[in-house]
Amino acid sequence: MNAAIGYIAIAAVAVVSALIGFYGLRVSRTTSDFYVASRTVRPWWNASAIGGEYLSAASFLGIAGLILLTGSAALWFPIGYTAGYLMLLLFVAAPLRRSGAYTIPDFTEARLDSVWARRVTSTLVIVIGWFYIVPQLQGAALTVRITTGLPAWAGSLAVAVIVAVVVAAGGMRSITFVQAFQFWLKLTALAIPVFAILLLVGDVQPALPPVEAFPSSAGPGDLDVYRTVSLMVALLLGTLGLPHVLVRFYTNPDGIAARRTTVIVLVLLSVFYLFPTAFGFLGRTFAPDLAASGDADALVLLLPGRLIPGPLGDVLTALVIAGAFAAFLSTSSGLVVSLAGVISQDLLGGSVRGFRIAAVLSSFVPLLVALATESSGLAGSVGLVFAFTASTLCPVLLLGIWWRGLTARGAIAGMLTGAVLSGVAILGGGWVSAWLPTLRPFLEQPAAWTVPVAVLVTVLVSRGDRRGIPRGTDMFLTRLHVPETARHHGREG
Amino acid sequence: MTSPSTGGSAGRSSNGGAAGDAGRDPRAHRGDQARQDAVDDAPDAPPPPADRPAGPPQRVRVTAPRAGSAAAPARAMTPHGADAPTSDIAGVYVRSLIRSQLRLGIVFAVGFAVATVLFVLAIAFVPQLDETFVAGVPLSWLLLGAGVYPLAITVGGLYVRAASRNEARYRSLTEDE
Repeated sequence: MNAAIGYIAIAAVAVVSALIGFYGLRVSRTTSDFYVASRTVRPWWNASAIGGEYLSAASFLGIAGLILLTGSAALWFPIGYTAGYLMLLLFVAAPLRRSGAYTIPDFTEARLDSVWARRVTSTLVIVIGWFYIVPQLQGAALTVRITTGLPAWAGSLAVAVIVAVVVAAGGMRSITFVQAFQFWLKLTALAIPVFAILLLVGDVQPALPPVEAFPSSAGPGDLDVYRTVSLMVALLLGTLGLPHVLVRFYTNPDGIAARRTTVIVLVLLSVFYLFPTAFGFLGRTFAPDLAASGDADALVLLLPGRLIPGPLGDVLTALVIAGAFAAFLSTSSGLVVSLAGVISQDLLGGSVRGFRIAAVLSSFVPLLVALATESSGLAGSVGLVFAFTASTLCPVLLLGIWWRGLTARGAIAGMLTGAVLSGVAILGGGWVSAWLPTLRPFLEQPAAWTVPVAVLVTVLVSRGDRRGIPRGTDMFLTRLHVPETARHHGREG
Repeated sequence: MTSPSTGGSAGRSSNGGAAGDAGRDPRAHRGDQARQDAVDDAPDAPPPPADRPAGPPQRVRVTAPRAGSAAAPARAMTPHGADAPTSDIAGVYVRSLIRSQLRLGIVFAVGFAVATVLFVLAIAFVPQLDETFVAGVPLSWLLLGAGVYPLAITVGGLYVRAASRNEARYRSLTEDE
């Protein structure tokens, strides 16, 4: 591949993101702007921004790579990533917006009247955020290595530095614009190459005949029920607890707008995911050799250049590289914003300066992890972060919104249980299943049992909590569920 | 929850004792997040930068919640003020709203899950779908790759209308009062 294309595309995305970020800087001066963009963002902007933030390396590169590698089982990833927003709509969107809290730790502290519940939640948010940033940086490493020939670490470093600078300088107001822009960039960057390939590929001989490219042994009929169900539990419920997703809902003016935004997000994601899926299908037909080479995740980057020769192929390649970088930058910066919010409030006094320090910190810790570890499939590693989130933050969030019996002790016990179980399954799973192979699927996809256990522990400990439910629980639940217009002390605008 | 236990490890010591009026909670001026409340937070906010021009008039300064300050339970945001006990008629209405919204969410979630399972079973048990190729891809793969999204959007759209209806019903009940 022509390295110049890679350099140009990556530099262009970095410059454009920074420009939009600094343009937004002019309107983001006060603390509220840094945290929640003044809550004045319109639903379509907001939905685009949510999409821009959410579609990560796993969506942009990982899904197509996994379809190439494993077949139709991978189709469940985009379904889960999208349907997670349905669960968010049904159970979380409006009440969370009405809670008035900026972050999940704010929510748990206010709901449970407990500093300890806040501390545990904050710790989990930081751990989840860091481990979610790592695959983004690994995706950047892969992209830089494949497209420019530079050493892989240069990609991780570049993304970490850009994100730290833009977030520390601009805050979330500018990030909203950047994210919205990046959603449409990502969509375009996949859609145009797919259409171009479909139109122009007529004379290219498929590498495999359809029957071999899509064997029914890898087809939808051959379903591993436990793994699929467990993956769906992880993705559907994990979306509820992702820190960078939740913070977006505070930029809706009210609960109704939060719901409307979420439906728009469903539409945007549904359209987007058709294209990584198409890339995966094209890859199985035209580039099956990539599956064997270990670079399946690079399918999206390599396919346009392979199938369309000449300058048009170069332009399309530049486009997908730009889209991929937009994915790494947007997800990482969204995560860094929410992590920096949590870290600066809990440790650094909540000032703008503390936010900047925390932003730099939140970018560089995952960089160290990314440099020290090897990527083992982008979609898979992000899926595990979802499983961990579903087992820890999701039970507290759901029960906190819908069950008045939740107590601080119950919440903390549930979060710790979920963290230990899913953490051990994810980190120690390979080691355990080496001598107990029957446990392998349960450790590789733990959500189906860790989430119910975490919920059960939360409920039982809350029930047994002698101190009873926190004061103000009924008032807080009223605030979560009563529509804004029915409040006598309604907020304006 | 008759008497809050003394101190306790879970951070209730700051206001655990007196059966205080939440509306006069001494921490009330600190670290609230609601934009409306934030206007009252002005004493706690850092002074505005001198070089800052007047700017758009609707801009409101909000300070971040401090670590360690309970982030303002619902006081002053309830329909009948902070001192409304929830055993009265208003509380009954609120609880029934919460119950009906939860029921609605569960019904739609289960409906989505059942519809998805039926869809997948249909794909799995019609072998012709594996053998019919559209643009070189088996129809079964295409259906699984694209078919669940319209379902999710439909369920989401219907839910928004139903949830808004529940809220409208609540509103008309409380306004009749």
